[in-house]
Amino acid sequence: MRSLRRIAAPLVAVLFLAGCGYDATPLPKPEKVDVAPAAPVTPVECNNAKESYAPSNDRGAAIRQLKDRGRLVVGVSADTFQLGFTDPLDGDIKGFDIDFAQAVAEALDVTLQLRVITAAQRIDLLKSGEIDMVARNMTVNCTRWTQVAFSAVYYNATQKVLVRSDDVASYEKDGVESLKGKRVCAPTGSTSIDNITEKADVEVVAAANHTGCLIKFQTGEVDAITGDDTVLAGLAAQDPYADVPKQTKLTDEPYGLAVNKDDKDLARFINSVLEDMRSDGRWQASYDKWLKPYLLVDATPPTPDYGR
Amino acid sequence: MSQTAAPQAAPPPAAKAPVPAPAAAGKSAPGLVDTPALLNRWQLIGMSVAIVFGVLSALIQFGGWQSDGRAADDTEQLVRVQEIKSSLLRADALATNAFLVGGLEDPEQREEYDAALSSVLTEIANAAESQPADREVLAALNVEVSDYATAVAQARDNNRLGFPIGAEYLSGASTELRADAIPLIDNMVSANTDRTEDAMAGQHPVWLVLLGLVALAVLVWLNRELARHFRRRINKGIAVAAVIVLLVTVVTAFGALVRDNSNDSLLDGELATALSESNARTAANDAKANESLRLIKRVPGDSAFEVAWQASREIVDESASRETIGSWNDYVAQHEEIVRLDDAGQWNRAVTLATESTGGSTEPLDNFDATAKSVVTEARDVVVDDLRSGRILALVLSGLTVLLGVAAAVAVSRGIGERRREFS
Repeated sequence: MRSLRRIAAPLVAVLFLAGCGYDATPLPKPEKVDVAPAAPVTPVECNNAKESYAPSNDRGAAIRQLKDRGRLVVGVSADTFQLGFTDPLDGDIKGFDIDFAQAVAEALDVTLQLRVITAAQRIDLLKSGEIDMVARNMTVNCTRWTQVAFSAVYYNATQKVLVRSDDVASYEKDGVESLKGKRVCAPTGSTSIDNITEKADVEVVAAANHTGCLIKFQTGEVDAITGDDTVLAGLAAQDPYADVPKQTKLTDEPYGLAVNKDDKDLARFINSVLEDMRSDGRWQASYDKWLKPYLLVDATPPTPDYGR
Repeated sequence: MSQTAAPQAAPPPAAKAPVPAPAAAGKSAPGLVDTPALLNRWQLIGMSVAIVFGVLSALIQFGGWQSDGRAADDTEQLVRVQEIKSSLLRADALATNAFLVGGLEDPEQREEYDAALSSVLTEIANAAESQPADREVLAALNVEVSDYATAVAQARDNNRLGFPIGAEYLSGASTELRADAIPLIDNMVSANTDRTEDAMAGQHPVWLVLLGLVALAVLVWLNRELARHFRRRINKGIAVAAVIVLLVTVVTAFGALVRDNSNDSLLDGELATALSESNARTAANDAKANESLRLIKRVPGDSAFEVAWQASREIVDESASRETIGSWNDYVAQHEEIVRLDDAGQWNRAVTLATESTGGSTEPLDNFDATAKSVVTEARDVVVDDLRSGRILALVLSGLTVLLGVAAAVAVSRGIGERRREFS
């Protein structure tokens, strides 16, 4: 019987153990995300990027260049506070850029359709004809002139820096140098990153857009945000602990309303609308309503430059 | 056949059985057969076979009993994990839809969001208690759910203040939910599916048959050896043991076969229904969240949100049951109208259709969700109840098998004892 016990005991043990063990559920392996660097863009030289076409109030010619003659489809932002944003209280898209889109549609006497687009879509959608115009804080430059056509400059923005309210004094004293070693956020692939890294030794943190940067700012992942002053004003308006200090601009960012490269008549008509807005006070009213409360500076409409 | 039950015979006196010389211990003298030693050996073999048969057969049955119990527990865990996933995406569908109406969200919708999130947190705690092997993943999931709830709260707060950063918090929360939390749940679903399927395959009728055949073969061989030495064709004790082994084998193998077939039916029937409907419920809520997000982020056309919606639709079309497919089709019709309005630039009308409590896309989706939840619960209960039914009987049978193995061993002992007495 002793030999029986010798046989049975290990069998019992093996069967029990086989029935009881579970392998731990594995944790997912973190996926390695390779961020491809933005394709290098060779700057295109031109005499004056701000130069546009002479204004014309030929409404018929402009309407003929719309994809749908009863409707003006404008690519806009819906998350850039004060420039182009969805008001959660009524769902409407509002802002400084939107005022210009509305003015052009009213002058053409067509329905305005706002299509929310990303910054990266602006040129492609104009080229493909899916939208008629872009009113989305788009900087006029020589490279873009080879791809699309612009109106006269409707606002002279500048690249600046937003910091925590307790960093305002040091930034106003030492400027961008005060950010040495700090984390600065800018949208992925934007030229703002290059502009600031050229001037100071900062750690750049990218986000999908400027609002994404503000989330990182609020959660303490970054110390500052760089971008156009108009955009930074909108961010500061959403956070009482975010300020845009008095500072020297990093770059000039003149905004223009963009259309398809071939739609010169539409561009001329837009320029005539801008002329009207400058002269009848609508430009000033829009600036005072959307941007002045946060930029805290008086501004006047930019002087148009025609001759293209 | 008049053997009487008698205790195992004592070894015969030395005079009647030749004792091997010390130098050749264990060996008979040439030409002589050490019959008592042979009988002892046969007795040991016969009893060992009977007892090992009884113990192994009982252990195989006990393993099957354990497997069915584990299968019931694993099924509950699997459905629980699926429920966590469904509730999480249900919460996201509610949060994103409520966001569309600004700060004045529907209190009932808010209450349902809170209930869905509470259910997620409660089930995470229950799941951690039920399956220790899932604890590490559940701990990570707990962190992700907490982050998600925090981000949604921040989204709401900012939305009520009229700040666009609220929408960014919300879309970020939804994106991270799918990127970080859902893969954790998917790993648990996969692991628990494997566990459930393994446990449901824990009945081994073939093993029981083979074990019985081996035991019977040894007993037949033993009987033949005895017959050759004692000129009796059948040893009664061994015959009784063989009958016991045969009966135990037939009954236990049949029981295991019935159980095995029943488990296969559950696997392909109610369990498959529960898992399939859970998948449909998860995908349907994912679709509703993407519908709301496309309107929140105001991206008409074939945006990433609409592409994700279409992927969810394919899953629901494949997985929804007859009970739920009608509500789903009603929802799809409403969604297509929302897309048509949004693409035509009538965003406000699209939002109204997506958010109104009756007549829009919310009502059929809510109906789908409630029915799907009930289908999953019913199917799970059938599986668990079936796996747990008759378990006491299986355990008693397992214990009885050990006793019958011992009884067979005693029969063998007595049968061979009879021959020993005849010899002495």
